[in-house]
Amino acid sequence: MSSPAPSTSVAPIRVPVVAWLLVAVALGVIYVLLQLNGTAFAEQLHEFTHDGRHALGVPCH
Amino acid sequence: MTSLTLGAVLRRGALCGLIAGLAAALVGLLLVEPRLDDAIALEEASHEEPMFSRATQVFGGAVAAVAVAVCLALVVAVVFAGVRHRLPASTDFGRAGLLALLGYVTVALLPAVKYPANPPGVGDPGTVTERTMQYLTLIAAAIAISWLALLVHSRLAGRSWSAQHRTAAAVAVAAVGYVALLMTWPANPDPVPDTIPAGLLWDFRMASLAELTALWTVFGLAFALSLTPRRALTPAFSA
Repeated sequence: MSSPAPSTSVAPIRVPVVAWLLVAVALGVIYVLLQLNGTAFAEQLHEFTHDGRHALGVPCH
Repeated sequence: MTSLTLGAVLRRGALCGLIAGLAAALVGLLLVEPRLDDAIALEEASHEEPMFSRATQVFGGAVAAVAVAVCLALVVAVVFAGVRHRLPASTDFGRAGLLALLGYVTVALLPAVKYPANPPGVGDPGTVTERTMQYLTLIAAAIAISWLALLVHSRLAGRSWSAQHRTAAAVAVAAVGYVALLMTWPANPDPVPDTIPAGLLWDFRMASLAELTALWTVFGLAFALSLTPRRALTPAFSA
């Protein structure tokens, strides 16, 4: 009983580095949609997704 | 279904994220938008000319909900693929459900309790960077607490604790850790102006939490079910 394997273990799924890049891109898109402030493009996007920002409870002006 | 591939997990996650985003957008349209309209009506007198019409912003809010849900779903799907064999549950339904529950608590519920949503007209543009940092660091710390709870659960297995005792220990770590975060993280620096009625503020916050809850609940259940065979694997007892 040295390894803490659960009683019903499954084989690990292979997750290549590119999948973690996808995670980074997805987090980046969320950040741009919900958090980005300060640039002209951000101003446009901010106003377009403004209802979404407030509705999803992220900090906003 | 023990030979899942990353591609299969990602496809299911993305589809479930889309469904969850549509559900969240629907809750947003039905519950959040009426409160937003009330708040904007109060704010309007003092505000500059808006860049987009209200109709465009309502549409934008729905688009944002769907896009954010799909992105969150992709993140959860990859994380699920990475940690599936370590998650303490005996089925993929349990593993995916546990991960979605932790996602809901860390990314939605705790930030909503510590930094409740505010309608337009409350936030000070001068403090938005500070508030964003508070919000993101709280989420990061909550994820760390969740990871710690899972770590405690798996470490105690090496000491031959029963599954029930390990679960109790992990839940205790998570509960104490989450509450400690809520009590130590800095408060939102912005005061709520007197012009916003308390009732409207409360209703808006409940509606916002309802949208987040719809997103995570629909995603968690759909994703967990999508990883579950429709028919029972073991033959039913003949009664």
